[in-house]
Amino acid sequence: MLASTLISILVVSSIAAALAAVLVVSERFIANYGPCKIIINEERELTVQGGKPLLSVLTAEKIFIPSACGGRGTCGLCKVKVLEGAGAILPTEEPYLSKEERAAQVRLSCQVKVKNDLRIQIPRELFSIREYVTRCTKIRDLTHDIKLFRFQLVEPTTMDYIPGQYIQLQTPAYEKSPAPVYRAYSIASDPAEKGIIDLIIRLVPNGICTTYCFNHLKEGDEMRLNGPYGSFHLSDTQAPVVFIAGGSGMAPIKCILHHMKNTQNQREAVYFFGANVVREMFMVEEMRQFESDLANFRFVPVIAKPQEGETWSGETGLVTQAVQRDVKNGVPYEAYLCGSPGMIDASIKVLNELGITNDRVFYDKFA
Amino acid sequence: MKQGPDEQQLDVSLRASTLVAGGFMGDDLRSVTEVIDADAGELFRLGMTLKELASRMQEITDKAAPAQGLWVEIAPGREAQVDETRGSSPCPWRHQGRYFKRITTVRRKDSDEVLRWSDLGMHMIARHGFFEGKGSMFRLEPADLVKMLF
Repeated sequence: MLASTLISILVVSSIAAALAAVLVVSERFIANYGPCKIIINEERELTVQGGKPLLSVLTAEKIFIPSACGGRGTCGLCKVKVLEGAGAILPTEEPYLSKEERAAQVRLSCQVKVKNDLRIQIPRELFSIREYVTRCTKIRDLTHDIKLFRFQLVEPTTMDYIPGQYIQLQTPAYEKSPAPVYRAYSIASDPAEKGIIDLIIRLVPNGICTTYCFNHLKEGDEMRLNGPYGSFHLSDTQAPVVFIAGGSGMAPIKCILHHMKNTQNQREAVYFFGANVVREMFMVEEMRQFESDLANFRFVPVIAKPQEGETWSGETGLVTQAVQRDVKNGVPYEAYLCGSPGMIDASIKVLNELGITNDRVFYDKFA
Repeated sequence: MKQGPDEQQLDVSLRASTLVAGGFMGDDLRSVTEVIDADAGELFRLGMTLKELASRMQEITDKAAPAQGLWVEIAPGREAQVDETRGSSPCPWRHQGRYFKRITTVRRKDSDEVLRWSDLGMHMIARHGFFEGKGSMFRLEPADLVKMLF
């Protein structure tokens, strides 16, 4: 009885070992795609080892495609055009690709495996994106749920960016997230300080990255980020400017104001910054300093509904109502918006009513 | 309950923390199918349909959203606030569409009792009958919702 049991165990173990060996050999010889060429925008050619997802292959080559989920096929952001060699669209991609995108050969780069030569197309600006090792050097409370995080760039030590652009901050794996994820945040710092990246982050309930930053990140910790991304920036016209922002939307506007100061920009500009209650208003002193530093700049903080006991002598109501009261003729203006999608939609409606056409309204919804 | 490969993959996806910190299942050990079935049974017991419930949630969100973060009265003794942050999320059921990171909070004025849902959460209730697992930050008990909203 004992002998037959042992023989059975031995036989089953031998079969399992044989199957494992077959898998290893198959992986080595059958799934070995060898070197593959990736031609990017018909101007750059990479030779890579096949078998990995396109997103990770490009990342290894220091070409960063925006992706929030770290390549797990859940965010649908890492879209690139694959003109040749990708094969059929996978079921895992289908939910994230519109009819127009499929027609335009757009694919999720995290799902496309490099098995043969590929021809792809990506926005040129992605070539200049780099990954940075940083150290968090300052955490400053701005309101009960908004903090400023300062990161010193360690490697590389400087970043050239256009004021208004954003970076992707990597949250390392922690108890609430088993793998690193990326989230996008606008740069708030003075672009003259090329070694520093300030971010203004608002806590999102259940947000992976914001929960990490608020509850785990400490001064002195190492963090990684990549960037810069985005096309939101101040135009080089002389048109008067209306800035409208709320909450963490302060970040890119602050960066642009630093840039205006650094370049002694004399454009007429007015900045409407909204908060619901007085305790949610922040950086007023910094903005007043810009009023001193910039010849034609006004800062208009707006409190939607001051609470009992709060002292407030400034503008009240919705930020859009303050814009309506202040800007009589919007026709010559350009408008720059940053905030929640709802605030942006409401602002566009008001700006249109004031005569500012959509081609003169700029924003980054981060949608 | 035996799950097919699709349900198994969905279960893994909902428990993983790829979209929200801690995932959507909290510490609920039941399968996603069991969670959905149990809540459907509870809703039936309450004499309510998913369509009626989701429609009321959407109505409240739509009413409060234009106030851009301020409280809006939605019924006698009840008020709602819609708070938005930048960004959007896809649905874990993997279909087209993204949902803004917008949170609707409903509050009873007399007791300060609150319920809240995200746009994605509202969608998951309306389309997938999923109220999230027990222990999840945004888990909504059908009975609490019905009591608060109707």
